[in-house]
Amino acid sequence: MHTHPALHRLRQRISCLEEAQHRFARTIPVAEAVDRSLPHGGLSAGCIHEVKGTSLANAIAFSAILSSRLAGDQGNILYIAPDRSLHPLGLLPYGVKLGQVLHISTRRAQDLAWTVMEALRCPQVSSVIALLNGLDLTESRRLQLAAEASGATGFLLGHAASAPIASPITRWRVSSVFCKSDQGFDEPVWALDLLYCRSGRPGRWILEWRDQRLNSVLTQQVKETPIEALAG
Amino acid sequence: MARCFLSLYCPDITCDRLTQLVEWCDRYSPLASQDGRDGIILDITGCTHLFGGEGPLLLDLSRRLHRMGIEAHAAIADSWGIGWALARYGKRFIVHGDAAIAALDPLPVEALRLPVEIVLELRRLGLSTIAAVRKIPRHSLAARFGSTLLWRLDQAFHQAEEPLTPWRPPAPYRASRILGEPISTVPAVEYVLRDLLEKICTKLEKNRLGLRHMDLACYRVDGTMDRCEVRTSKPTRSLPHLMRLFHDRLDTLRSGFGFEAFILSVLDTEAVHPTQFSLLQVNPVENEASFDALVDRLGMKLGFHEVNRIQVCESYLPEHAVEFRPATISAVASAEWPDYRVRPIRMIDPPMSIHVSILIPGGSPVQLLIGRQKHRIIRSEGPERLHAEWWRDHNSRWDTRDYYRIEDDKGFRFWIFRDRSEHWFLHGHFA
Repeated sequence: MHTHPALHRLRQRISCLEEAQHRFARTIPVAEAVDRSLPHGGLSAGCIHEVKGTSLANAIAFSAILSSRLAGDQGNILYIAPDRSLHPLGLLPYGVKLGQVLHISTRRAQDLAWTVMEALRCPQVSSVIALLNGLDLTESRRLQLAAEASGATGFLLGHAASAPIASPITRWRVSSVFCKSDQGFDEPVWALDLLYCRSGRPGRWILEWRDQRLNSVLTQQVKETPIEALAG
Repeated sequence: MARCFLSLYCPDITCDRLTQLVEWCDRYSPLASQDGRDGIILDITGCTHLFGGEGPLLLDLSRRLHRMGIEAHAAIADSWGIGWALARYGKRFIVHGDAAIAALDPLPVEALRLPVEIVLELRRLGLSTIAAVRKIPRHSLAARFGSTLLWRLDQAFHQAEEPLTPWRPPAPYRASRILGEPISTVPAVEYVLRDLLEKICTKLEKNRLGLRHMDLACYRVDGTMDRCEVRTSKPTRSLPHLMRLFHDRLDTLRSGFGFEAFILSVLDTEAVHPTQFSLLQVNPVENEASFDALVDRLGMKLGFHEVNRIQVCESYLPEHAVEFRPATISAVASAEWPDYRVRPIRMIDPPMSIHVSILIPGGSPVQLLIGRQKHRIIRSEGPERLHAEWWRDHNSRWDTRDYYRIEDDKGFRFWIFRDRSEHWFLHGHFA
């Protein structure tokens, strides 16, 4: 891509001014096709990302893939939800080591936001996956600051129909698609939408999860349907 | 060593009040127990010097109970039996050694804690005081009344053992503070608490132990009390961490007329391995500690049963394959889960009843009706037959189920099963 040198200089000046720039030292790869749209060539750690899905299971699986990459061997993944509907064995195909997972269920709604905040403040937590019901601007800004200070990454999940949270670094939507090829049930095919990315470009990709990687799939094989959320 | 017991007799007291009172007596001795329906027994061996002697202790206890509006009679003696007898029937209140015989002799036979039939029988024979009973030779008493009478006589004159079961096992470490003036503000309570914690942590450090469970008993001036409990997931001696865990609890404490005494007891300890820090690595000890501190804070606020680790159990049945184990319980080896058994990410509990259309009876499903939504099934895998595990004793009676993994025309994936009575259920969602 050919950029005018003046434009390039301008971009550099702007990126110096953005205070969050120096914090994003660490990025993790998502998929080859997707990484080209993300700033710094990968998903930034130490900040908040919003992941929605046509079913919550999609959102959880996508966050699990990214969390396992963030956690590596020594990290801790915290899963915070109002109930115990997660079946941990379903996370195994996505590379998650169950010994690193801490499952926290909060019975009261006001405890949920407090728990996510406490979790994001701890430097030993590598990622937090939380099922939240919408946050206002001040709360999400506070979570963002906590994540930046400690280096933990937050994935705030929601149903596709729920209210969006304010000011995350990226917004994703994971939709189920039907693919004609022979996929196992632990190798899902998704339509991944990057709806918003700070200093990056939105996009849409069809990806399959195979061999611990997200690979692109030829669109001819896929029958795309209009986005429709599944209840539950 | 001579033992020392304090027996308390409260004639008109309710059951709940008595249980509360047993806990309240913890300020005098941790070895307290309910004695029948209307009494309390305390083992005060070695505690009396803290109150300035047996007399002052008795006086202090009687005064406090009187102020609380409880009618009580107390007596201190060398054995449980003597104390019981003196509190209810005696005239002297502190009796030791040989004076016990002289004190017990004039008392009626009821003072021996005998069943009603034996008392009636003794009175019928004209034996109305303990002195009279003691004059009869032992073999005659055994022949006429059996072993109960002799047993009670021996207990009273401490020739037989009578163990006391305290209401709670005595705490290995304990620090207490009795204040001259009552306090009621949270910062004041925290000041006292910090002082007590320092004392306990120094003792723990000497013995290389860390605490897992402790509680603070706060006594108010009107005789009521409250307890704050703190648990941790790993043994710790760190003062700031413990203060932080208490902080949330202290906010909910109601001070009433003010607190006058605090007792901090450590209920569970574990050895803490001394960690050696390296000069090169920057604060590795602190790293471990801060994650444990997070688990403790979450556990204290949400309840330790809500902060769980995942353990894979030796079972294929979905409800029993995974156990959510509280983070405070130490780790146990997890089982291996085979790759070919694919499980959904979300499970619905209890399974939702659905309608399924099939082309051939006993064949794979073709159309799904969940609620009002129809799903046309394109692909299905299965069945995976799961039987009840006869070698286990499950609470719910598990029926044989045939599980299918199905995908509909929009790409949604479900985990459904058919049970033995040909009903279909939705049990989970795949990604």
